[in-house]
Amino acid sequence: MPGVELIDVAKSFGSTEVIPKLNLSIDEGEFAVIVGPSGCGKSTTLRMICGLEPVTSGSIFIKDRNVTKAAPKARDIAMVFQSYALYPHMDVAGNMSFALRLAGRPKEEIKRRVDHAAQLLELTDYLHRKPRDLSGGQRQRVAMGRSIVRDAYCFLFDEPLSNLDAKLRSSMRTELALLHKQLERTMVYVTHDQIEAMTMADRIVIMDQGEIQQVGTPREVYTSPRNRFVAGFIGSPSMNFLDAQLQDERGELVVRGDGFRLPIPDRLQQQVQNTTVTECTVGLRPEHFFARNDGSGNLAALKLNVDVAEYIGSSQFLAAHLGEQAVTATVDVGPDAEPMQSGEYYFDTNRLYLFDRRTGMAL
Amino acid sequence: MSNQLHSPWRVMAHYVCLCLLAIACLMPIWVMISTSFKDDIVIFDGKPIWFFFVPTMDNYEYIVGRGKFDRYLVNSVIVAVVSTFLTLLLGGLCAYALARAEFKGRRFVANATLLVRMVPPAVLAVPAFAMVIFLNVNNDLLVLIFFYTALNLPFAIWLLFGFYKQIPVELEEAAIVDGASPLQVFFRVLLPLMKSGYAVAGIFTFRIAWNEFILALLLTGRNTRTLPVAASGFLTDTGVEWGRIMAMGTLIVIPPLLFTFFAARQIIAGMTAGAVKG
Repeated sequence: MPGVELIDVAKSFGSTEVIPKLNLSIDEGEFAVIVGPSGCGKSTTLRMICGLEPVTSGSIFIKDRNVTKAAPKARDIAMVFQSYALYPHMDVAGNMSFALRLAGRPKEEIKRRVDHAAQLLELTDYLHRKPRDLSGGQRQRVAMGRSIVRDAYCFLFDEPLSNLDAKLRSSMRTELALLHKQLERTMVYVTHDQIEAMTMADRIVIMDQGEIQQVGTPREVYTSPRNRFVAGFIGSPSMNFLDAQLQDERGELVVRGDGFRLPIPDRLQQQVQNTTVTECTVGLRPEHFFARNDGSGNLAALKLNVDVAEYIGSSQFLAAHLGEQAVTATVDVGPDAEPMQSGEYYFDTNRLYLFDRRTGMAL
Repeated sequence: MSNQLHSPWRVMAHYVCLCLLAIACLMPIWVMISTSFKDDIVIFDGKPIWFFFVPTMDNYEYIVGRGKFDRYLVNSVIVAVVSTFLTLLLGGLCAYALARAEFKGRRFVANATLLVRMVPPAVLAVPAFAMVIFLNVNNDLLVLIFFYTALNLPFAIWLLFGFYKQIPVELEEAAIVDGASPLQVFFRVLLPLMKSGYAVAGIFTFRIAWNEFILALLLTGRNTRTLPVAASGFLTDTGVEWGRIMAMGTLIVIPPLLFTFFAARQIIAGMTAGAVKG
């Protein structure tokens, strides 16, 4: 059953169309992450679900109820803002209980729920502190606590971790995933950070320029990106794109470009035979380069001119040139290896991607 | 460099300057208070007596006992309190609208309010008087309240506009999502954070309304006089009654002083600290 459903939702600010027409269905209890570069319309989408931003056309359903015109408080949702938006004149308990007090809930119930949320988020010792006396991570937890006490049907998160430092962010990521498990609520999470999306999501919604590019599990969007945008956005460091031509060399389908010639993997044979496209873009993920040919997979040799080799522990990050085109590669050579030099490297051709150069769609 | 900044001579020079300024500020007040306790003989003595004289309460007794001091005091309090209240109420709403609502020419309106403030009230006195006579509403406290509110609104709007701008809009959105009605958002989230802004605006508005002289002189009659106008009544044909004027002045100073102390307690720096970001 869909928990949150957007049908033909469009949004314009004045004459500027931000979201053309968007259809999205998020299952009940699912952790959906909307990800995309800034300005892609992901926050606007979330604010429309929340009710802070009216839709220009289309309808929104939450729990099978049409809430398109409903006020935020009638939607049974809770939201965590990017900036936390804590009430600075109330202490932590006051912040968390504000919604319940507004709703006129009995005192004992409010106390019970606040205590429960505080325990869950390890805020019990801070209940009587003001937001200004809390650290960034604690404020972030208060913001989450404020939505948890609501016991809402659906939780909305607008880049809640973007103001935290890297270490705290990764631990909060884990806590959030755990929270989702405990609460079993529908959660919609907006971020521009693809790592956050990959690690937390049941399903990822990738947006660009107001349009959904692909919806799928983290594995799906990583292994079968629908188009060049998704391929480039998901994965870190991001995929290399090289101009190339599809050619039939005496019965063998190959993709040939400046400084390389790679055989088409079995998985793409059918598509390549059926297409009329010859001008294509080859997608090579940096992590699918290897320094040695250990005989596994379908490794093809590529000559890389290494410009810089960056040491990052057990692997090295290479900024290099393949022919005239710049590529990046991460090769796993162990922590003791010397800085890598130009020479033969290997690419696993099973993991190669092909895109129509004109439309950007995956073949 | 820092050595020079903190050299004893510099520090001393600083304090000497500060002391001189303080004396310049406080001396007129001392003259007012001391004169109010002097009788005419001491006041008009050939050379001024600064500190050592026999104090007398005569001036105060005369003002409070014989004149209509209580009536003027009530007038002043009504005019200042009501016009301050109206200014803060209307000014706050205008400022909020300017800070939040998106409409064409918003910035222009926000800045233009301050331009209105550039007009000195004295310039408005004659037109205001003509208007009031034309409408036949002179000698009415309401008229004075109306003018003071109109006069103070631009400044209050401009000031409160700045304060509202500092409150992140996410706070209101959070309250809306938490289920607050517009009035609840205003009274339970915005107003507590705007305390400082309203206190500052209130101090200025009250002080101006309390002390204003020209409009009050023109627009009030025998029974609707405010204290500053009443004080000017001691400039008589037979001379200036300095002792009584100063006694009146001393009494006039007290209410705004109390008001300021009360209002200033609401001014807390960094009220919105901790609302957003880390």
